Amino acid sequence: MSSNLFKKILWVFDPLLFSFKYISRKKWALYAVIIAAIISTIARLYVPLLIGDSVSSIENLDLRGLEYFAILIIVVTAISAAFQFIVNYGSQFIGQTYSFNLRNNVFNHLVRKSFSFFEGQTTGDLLSRTTMDIEASRNFITSTLSQLIPTIFMIVFGLYFLLTINWVYAAVFILSVPLMVYIGMVFQRKQRLHWRSIRGYYGRMNEELQENIIGQRTIRGFSAEEWEISKFMSTTDSYYQEYVQVAKLRGLYNNLLPLVLGGAATVILIYGGYSSLISSASVGPLVAAINIFTLVSPSVSSIGRLIVFSENARAGIQRINDVISEEYVEKLDRGAGAPLSSDLEFENVSFSRGNRKILDSLSFSISGGEFVGITGKTATGKSTLVNLMLRFYDPDFGSIRIGGVDIRSLPLTVLRRMISIVPQEITLLSGTIRENIAYGSPGASMDEIRSAADIANISAFIETLHEGYDTLVGERGITLSGGQKQRIAVARAILGKPQVLILDDSTSSVDPETELEMFRMIKSSLRGMTVINVTHRHSAMKYADRVFKLDHGSITLLHDESGMQDASGVSRIPGEEGDPSA
Amino acid sequence: MRLEYHGFQERREIHLPKLQTYDETEDQYFGKIDTRGSLERLIRDMFSFRNDSRQVIITVFVTAVAGTLYPLSLGLAINSILSRNSAGLVFYGILFLLLYIVQFFSNRIRTISSTRVAQSTIKSLRDRALGNLQRVPLKFFGNVKTGYLISRITNDGEALSEFLTFQLPQVISGISTVVISISIMFYLDWRLTLYALIAIPALIGFTFAIQPRVRRNYLGTRRTIAAITGNLSENINAIRLIKSFGAEDRTAEQFSKLNGNNYRSNMKAQRLSSIYGSIIRVIEAAGITTVIIAGGVQLVSGLVTIGIMVAFVVYLQEFFDPVVQLSQTYTSYQSAMVGVGRIYAIIDTEGEKAEFRGSISAGFGKSIDIKDMSFSYGDENAIDSISMSIPKGSKIGVVGHTGAGKTTLSNIIMKFIDTTGGSVTIDGLDLRSIETSSYRKLIAPVLQEQFLFRGSIYDNVIFNRPDISRETVDRLSVSFGFDAIFAGMDHGLDTSIGEMGRNLSEGQRQAISIMRALVREPEILVMDEPTSQIDPESERVIMAALSKYLAGRTLILITHRFSMISLVDNIIVLDHGRKVEEGKFEELLKSGGTFAKLYGIQTEV
Repeated sequence: MSSNLFKKILWVFDPLLFSFKYISRKKWALYAVIIAAIISTIARLYVPLLIGDSVSSIENLDLRGLEYFAILIIVVTAISAAFQFIVNYGSQFIGQTYSFNLRNNVFNHLVRKSFSFFEGQTTGDLLSRTTMDIEASRNFITSTLSQLIPTIFMIVFGLYFLLTINWVYAAVFILSVPLMVYIGMVFQRKQRLHWRSIRGYYGRMNEELQENIIGQRTIRGFSAEEWEISKFMSTTDSYYQEYVQVAKLRGLYNNLLPLVLGGAATVILIYGGYSSLISSASVGPLVAAINIFTLVSPSVSSIGRLIVFSENARAGIQRINDVISEEYVEKLDRGAGAPLSSDLEFENVSFSRGNRKILDSLSFSISGGEFVGITGKTATGKSTLVNLMLRFYDPDFGSIRIGGVDIRSLPLTVLRRMISIVPQEITLLSGTIRENIAYGSPGASMDEIRSAADIANISAFIETLHEGYDTLVGERGITLSGGQKQRIAVARAILGKPQVLILDDSTSSVDPETELEMFRMIKSSLRGMTVINVTHRHSAMKYADRVFKLDHGSITLLHDESGMQDASGVSRIPGEEGDPSA
Repeated sequence: MRLEYHGFQERREIHLPKLQTYDETEDQYFGKIDTRGSLERLIRDMFSFRNDSRQVIITVFVTAVAGTLYPLSLGLAINSILSRNSAGLVFYGILFLLLYIVQFFSNRIRTISSTRVAQSTIKSLRDRALGNLQRVPLKFFGNVKTGYLISRITNDGEALSEFLTFQLPQVISGISTVVISISIMFYLDWRLTLYALIAIPALIGFTFAIQPRVRRNYLGTRRTIAAITGNLSENINAIRLIKSFGAEDRTAEQFSKLNGNNYRSNMKAQRLSSIYGSIIRVIEAAGITTVIIAGGVQLVSGLVTIGIMVAFVVYLQEFFDPVVQLSQTYTSYQSAMVGVGRIYAIIDTEGEKAEFRGSISAGFGKSIDIKDMSFSYGDENAIDSISMSIPKGSKIGVVGHTGAGKTTLSNIIMKFIDTTGGSVTIDGLDLRSIETSSYRKLIAPVLQEQFLFRGSIYDNVIFNRPDISRETVDRLSVSFGFDAIFAGMDHGLDTSIGEMGRNLSEGQRQAISIMRALVREPEILVMDEPTSQIDPESERVIMAALSKYLAGRTLILITHRFSMISLVDNIIVLDHGRKVEEGKFEELLKSGGTFAKLYGIQTEV
């Protein structure tokens, strides 16, 4: 039982052990804080004794003594304040150093995590790991150093000082301090659950608002305004109810503590008063004792809060550990050594997700410089196929080779420099158009950027803008249409002159004429570059040398340059009849 | 000797990054925020919760009185000890405890009722803001960014919530304690009161002198953490891009720079606040010393009793917290007021004009007629004098290039926006005079941007119509071949679609949007590019089912694609906002006009 309790107490300090890694070179600060805390606490507790002594001097009409003690009060307070500065600043220094180092470490791991890691996470969740969870553990470390350690010293020395005055006072102290710690802990525990729900409802409020605003046309189109209002009101109501629950707890526990303090002070007042009344002793020690009580009790009640901080910190550290573990981290292996040719070969490639087989023993090859189309129904694994080429995932079976070399034996950076992809959903970063185009090759010259934009058929548009290539995009910048974004992304991909360019349905918002012009330019200006165009739109196939069709996990050749269809019996180009644009 | 109890320092577990960045354009849109007017209005709003606000006022007063009387009873108890009056000691000792008990109860009620007032006010502000967003003209959302609105209603609301729930009650009780204490002190001994108050100007002067720096530091830490959060969320969303271009190292370096900025600005802020904390303590000690020395001198000349002096020391200590809190609260007061002003601005944004909302209940017996109708967003007409008729039961196709005005036309037919010239009538009645929601009940739209809500596919299909049965949805899903489109989903139609349908492909999103409209069995179906992302084979199945479904219904189909054109019996061709052709498919193809050219471009393979 008692060893169990001991373990629990140690557990509270677990986050401190975790933090040592990140403050190892600043251990001296830790020692400085602890020593300063001892000095500051003793000095602080000495002040009530001095006040008591001053009262006694007044009683004895000893003005000189009074002056002496009064000046001593200021001097001792100044000493305590100076060391308190070291405690506060030092613990912040340690806490901030910790969070700085940890945050860098988390981020370094995060950007190197593999694609499958990100699939299981939401942006909000990862954000909260790098901000809130780190904050929670930092908070605990800072508060432990600046509050918990001084409080422990305060209890020890406070008890000692009280014992020097009167053992009854010390006994009252021993009885009331644990009671206050306990009340504080119970309160924090109970309150925490409600805060968690409040946070949950707050998040839901955010989501509902976002959906409501973005979905306004849909909501009005279906006359769902009242439905939406009542949905939101029920969320704000739950939020309200939780707040009232917290208020009820605060109302009880927060005010119970001063009541305990008041009770203890009354006992001391009446007992101490009565004994000095009959013994005609000075009231100075009584005043000092009450003062020590009131000095120690606020810190004591904060221990409960620190225990909860520690729980939050431990939970946060656990989540951070998921990120900084080596699991899912890609080995980038910077280096040279690219294969000479860009022939692509798929051999018996299979890939499943869960129980669903997405690609089933796929074999085909694309020779360097070819312009190939891959088509297929919605959600048949076209994007998966593309992701395998960049090794965002690895196939379950089979192999993919580039220039005869298995891509798994190539350093990732080399592979990804050789193969450039324009995905379905375009991400432009906040910054200028120029920065966005040059993202993959920051050293590119303006001429190179311009010629990439030319090929992507976006240069004419950029030049109509006031600030041309220096126009800001992203949240603060201009709003680009889907087609414009896609063309910028194409320029970005071809700027680095990759050997293989993959267009993953990346021209869906570009109008057909521009699209065809772009393909023509790519084909004529970037000879030797292998182009894989993944789409179900037929118009995009005009420049394709060969077109493959992906269906139920297997691939068939639909037609090649000569217009020949393969033997599989698929004789029709999808969407041919009456559907030229599909 | 500090008998006043600090309570738990309320430290919220929610750390919301208050991003104070690019809101300027939106703030300009709303005009200048009237902080003072907002305060008055906020107070009125708070007092509208009568019972709770009455309780707050009473309990704040009771707490303050009890809080000021106990140092006095402590002092009188000490005097009784010194005058060897044991009955007096017991009397004042018990009074001392009783005052604590009174405070316990009154504070408890105050905590609860002040939270009620604060949170009811916030709830009503948020509800009203959202409610008004359902009524403002749609163009409002073009002027004001979604992020801005969300941040006002949640973040600003939260800052206000924190201010009203935690800080305001503390400050009010602090100030009332100070006011009552000073009155009692003057009553007891005005000379010693003046000595006791000497330290206060120093405290106030010092506190307010460093406030601007504190605020600057605070904003610095907020700005740097906001930069971190912004950078993180951008990079997490762009992770695929980072990997594709091998930009991992570069990105990590950038992050480390922002992280370093945050570290430095935090340390700067901490240095100041640590120094501040230490100096306040010294000022406090100086104040106590003054009272003791002055009191001692007066005591010797018989002007003061020891008990009163001890009481004064306690009073003095009690002034420090409210003053320090007041200065700290001022910053949050300012941002809370700006926040509440912005929320009021959202609440006050004018809704759609009454004459556009209409009052006559809609009926559709004959036709919708558009006559010489124009619409402009600014200088140029997006739609230029179009006339057309949509008889009940007809199937109309509207085609044209991107930017020809097709979607604008559908927005007008949906009554999302008002025309700027000409007229739109339904059964001869001006559309403006028709009550909007009754009109929209006739229609189900498939909009170009299909919006999906969190929840399952099924939830999204039934949306605001829980009365639609599961069987109806399943039947529809099978007959239109949607079941095949969702065949790969783990739980079929019960699969959760994730944040705004993230887990779905574009084609699947469109399928949901089509189902949502069809399951409502509307009289009029308005479809804007409904199948652009659906593969040709699935599209054919949908078409076949749709042609049966449309019997007896009216269809308005907007498209710049031709795969669905066989569904319509009359085609209207738009070009640069004008109607350039109208007729049947074969007629238009033969005439060799715009339509034929459009068709030609897309078939040239």
